[in-house]
Amino acid sequence: MKFSYNWLRELVPGLASAPGELAQLITMKTAECEGIEAAGVLLDQVCAARVESVEPLPNSHNVKATVDAGPHGHITVVCGAPNCRAGSVAAYAPVGRKVVQGIESDGMLASGAELGINRDHAGILELVEPVGSPITGCAPDSIIEIDNKSITHRPDLWGHLGMAREVAAIVRQALSPPEVRALSASHGSSPIRIVIEDEQLCPRYSALVFENVTVKPSPLWLQYRLTAIGLNPINNIVDMTNYLMAELAQPMHAFDADLLRGGAIFVRPARRGEQFRALNEEEYTLEPSNLVIADAAGAIGLAGVIGGMDSKISEKTTRVVLESANFLASSVRKTSAALKLRTDASMRFEKSQDPANTVRALARAVDLLEELSPGIRVVGMADQQREIPPRPPIELPLAWLERKLGRAVPPAEVRDILQRLEFGVEEQSGGVFSVTVPSWRATKDVTIKDDLAEEVGRMIGYGAIPPRAPLFPATVPPANPERRFQHEARELFTGLGFTEVYNYSFVSEESVRAFGLDPVSYVRVANPIASDQALLRTSLVPGIRRNIVDNQKHRDAFRLFEIGLEIHKREAGLPDEIPHLAAAIYDRYGDGIAGLFEIKRAAECFMPGAKVCPAEAGPEQARPYEHPARAADIIWMGERTGRLFELHPTLLEVGRAAILDLDLRVIERITSRRLKYGTQYAPIRRYPSSAFDLSVIAGERELAGTLETRIAGFAGELVESIAFLRQYSGPPLAPGQKSVSFRVTAGSPERTLSSEEVSEIRQRIIEGMRGLGYDLRL
Amino acid sequence: MLGQSIRNLEADSLARVALANNAEELEAARIAAFGRKEGAFQQIAKEMSKLAPDERKHIGMLLNAAKQAVETALECRKQRFAQAALAARLDAEWLDLTLPAPGPRRGHLHPLTQIQRELEELFLSLGFAVLDGPEVETEYHNFDALNIPADHPARDAQDTFWLKDGFLLRTHTSPVQVRGMEKLGPPLRMVAPGRVFRNESVDASHEHTFYQLEGMMIDRDVSVAHLIYFMKTLSTSIFGRDVPVRLRPGYFPFVEPGFELDIQCLICGGAGCAVCKQSGWVELLGCGLVNPNVLRLSGIDPEEWSGFAFGLGLTRLVMMRYGIDDIRLLQGGDLRFLEQF
Repeated sequence: MKFSYNWLRELVPGLASAPGELAQLITMKTAECEGIEAAGVLLDQVCAARVESVEPLPNSHNVKATVDAGPHGHITVVCGAPNCRAGSVAAYAPVGRKVVQGIESDGMLASGAELGINRDHAGILELVEPVGSPITGCAPDSIIEIDNKSITHRPDLWGHLGMAREVAAIVRQALSPPEVRALSASHGSSPIRIVIEDEQLCPRYSALVFENVTVKPSPLWLQYRLTAIGLNPINNIVDMTNYLMAELAQPMHAFDADLLRGGAIFVRPARRGEQFRALNEEEYTLEPSNLVIADAAGAIGLAGVIGGMDSKISEKTTRVVLESANFLASSVRKTSAALKLRTDASMRFEKSQDPANTVRALARAVDLLEELSPGIRVVGMADQQREIPPRPPIELPLAWLERKLGRAVPPAEVRDILQRLEFGVEEQSGGVFSVTVPSWRATKDVTIKDDLAEEVGRMIGYGAIPPRAPLFPATVPPANPERRFQHEARELFTGLGFTEVYNYSFVSEESVRAFGLDPVSYVRVANPIASDQALLRTSLVPGIRRNIVDNQKHRDAFRLFEIGLEIHKREAGLPDEIPHLAAAIYDRYGDGIAGLFEIKRAAECFMPGAKVCPAEAGPEQARPYEHPARAADIIWMGERTGRLFELHPTLLEVGRAAILDLDLRVIERITSRRLKYGTQYAPIRRYPSSAFDLSVIAGERELAGTLETRIAGFAGELVESIAFLRQYSGPPLAPGQKSVSFRVTAGSPERTLSSEEVSEIRQRIIEGMRGLGYDLRL
Repeated sequence: MLGQSIRNLEADSLARVALANNAEELEAARIAAFGRKEGAFQQIAKEMSKLAPDERKHIGMLLNAAKQAVETALECRKQRFAQAALAARLDAEWLDLTLPAPGPRRGHLHPLTQIQRELEELFLSLGFAVLDGPEVETEYHNFDALNIPADHPARDAQDTFWLKDGFLLRTHTSPVQVRGMEKLGPPLRMVAPGRVFRNESVDASHEHTFYQLEGMMIDRDVSVAHLIYFMKTLSTSIFGRDVPVRLRPGYFPFVEPGFELDIQCLICGGAGCAVCKQSGWVELLGCGLVNPNVLRLSGIDPEEWSGFAFGLGLTRLVMMRYGIDDIRLLQGGDLRFLEQF
């Protein structure tokens, strides 16, 4: 929203702060200023000049003109405008000399666009002012831009009068609003019937009917004012409505009365499929959720959003119906959003405008039209409204206010602040003010005493409240073991050389399919940013794979990991969000084995004692994105905690990636159980242990882990550990066979085992294994 | 005569010891002198048994002195050889320690992780709980319970990612306030860092996925003065020094009064530059006193309890702290970027 500094100063004549200073004050007390722009910078030098003679220049559309520029004297300028002709009065700007086509041109004859008065580039601006005079009502201005988001709750700040009221309160100067004539009494009987079907959607509809209207361009002061705040001058009638919208925040619409069919205006829901041609020349198909303004034949306006083409004001218009109405904010917003049609009007109605404003705007319209279209006659006014009961006053206890702000504000100052903002203040009983909210703040903005605390707080300035530490009992906050555990996991994995990445929660159907998964099982975003980001990830692995593909362009080998949420659909209720850790070791060269064992080491550091169980040994089949011969479950404390695998070679053009995908929810649960029930201390053994080695001959693809488990099955309770030593295949072993060696250590906490006891254990294992069909190399 | 032999033996042995070039020759000399069977001293000792007792005593003393002299020489020589051997070994084991160590370097924590942890630790030390909430939220927790009206533009599809059944991707961390109030009730001190989503096209300064830190305190008589205290503590902790802050009005439906907290621009120190759009100030966070409707909706009596809440953009903060000019880098997974932190 753009505010003209000059306009604000007309409304607050005592305003002494320069634009920059004013913008600061507004930022600190009311709403955020985004910047200040200069408008009409040339206007303090421009004067009316009579074109005395015009000579065409050869091979050019330019002419050489001699002008009488008043105080600047008789001057020669080169001008390219088609309307530069002898005898006309134009706007002369002394912008310096330059040589054009061999002729020294001193300054220029300016177009409306060049001066910032309107958007007309087609020709030079023609004036009615006497030669040498400045353009009436047009002076350089500063335009203060306010962030729209910071005034969404303030319907009154969408017009200059509302902002001027704030400014007056801030700088403690009087507000000088335009006088408003009384309308309803003096302007005859209702010239048009208003039928409001739903007074919730349209609490008030006022309309004024004029005749003897002359539609023509507005005077330059009005064109300039609109242009300066970003509106487009059109004609005197439309400009008047825009001007009053910018003054009062009350959008209005003018219909050509002769183009209306029937003697009534209906405010009603659109009929399903009703067609409407809007002023923007677009055709809309409407729904009953769209509120329309209609005549006997059909929609002539989209309530609070835009007028219709068929009843548009034109040069031929002589009679006008001027609508000044109030519509329910949510209804306007829905229509504007559904039709993707945001207008200056809809933007204001969305903020819940003040129904008291409709007639005020019509009264101001009469003032303006008398200047803009002399001879105009008011036929009459119609005003249909729902009873809007006044809001009860808000009780404001001053002691409560002090506790809220954390600072005492003297009662006189509280009263003064509220009254300057035009709240009614009465001292009800000792220390309690009864505060009446003005109509323009009462639509939704100020409803409870907390809102009044804000009014006082912002006006004294929050900088005037000294910071204070609260006094309350020292307590240990509730723990968040899950989050702490995740941080510990991050520490461990970075310590092991993995760098943390963050990936998006969105995945594409294509990538889901590339991973051999089914998109149907995914939670779907109804309105994705792009069709390739419509699903929520059920695995971190696709993101990790993308990281690998991207980074292998720059690196031969790297490690990375992510901790994030998998989001799984559930039958009912919110999806299941499972924290996962996915880590990868990539190497462009080699057979991938080192990476797999390195990432297995990481898993074992993270989950001491965890077991890796490949498909043959466990229930899980390899997933489609896993190398089927290099994939395994990770089992820890009897629970499945994740997967370890090499990424399927079809998913990686170059190199190999070992991947770990862990369910942190399960791992955290196991970890905190271990912490809670803890390990019991066992005394350090005092008696030496004995060890012996065994080599088991097995099939090439038998798992060392399985052999170990089998040995353990025969070991008995005196065996302390069974450790893999090495494996070997080749002569003298038969092809397809390997020898796997283990070191078995036995001992007792109470004594040193005798050699008989040790060899008994050894014998038991050998016989047991032989019983299972294994040869042993002894 | 035997005395002469002893003197000769001593001289010979000492000469052999002195002439030994290495440990092996020295050992040979030792065996020649002291060997159990063939050792020269052993031979002499045998002869001594034939002597008369008083002569034996004299010769014995002579023999002992000679043995001692040779033993000392042997020991001395041995030490020298050992030292030389050690010196030779040490020299041979010269190593170029400027060669790189094998194995991976320490990895890097994501800058967003780092800043989250910093702030979690700060607030834990101030007695605040660190809470988590789901990324997929109900409309109730994300909007209704925060006093955001049913027709508020934030609920539009152009701002919010909607799923089915009225679920959505949380647009801010504020729903964790609601979950905190529901779970822990008053008094309450909590922060909630996390990932949030807005339906926004991605470019260098806009993301559909970013991080926030929510904070809330509910107690008796919580005031604007308390809020300012915590916000100053927060900014001092983030920037490691006392940065000037200012509080100005800001509108959020879940607080009343609501504020925007600005910090003095770190780049220009308040003089005005491109980063702060010449204003000298940069927005850091939104905050305010908890709107009584929000308390009421979570079953807390606003006449008895009051509170403040704030929401800090962690992504923005990380960008400010490290001078990151493209927001997409944070979720781009590029190690060349991530390894800088």
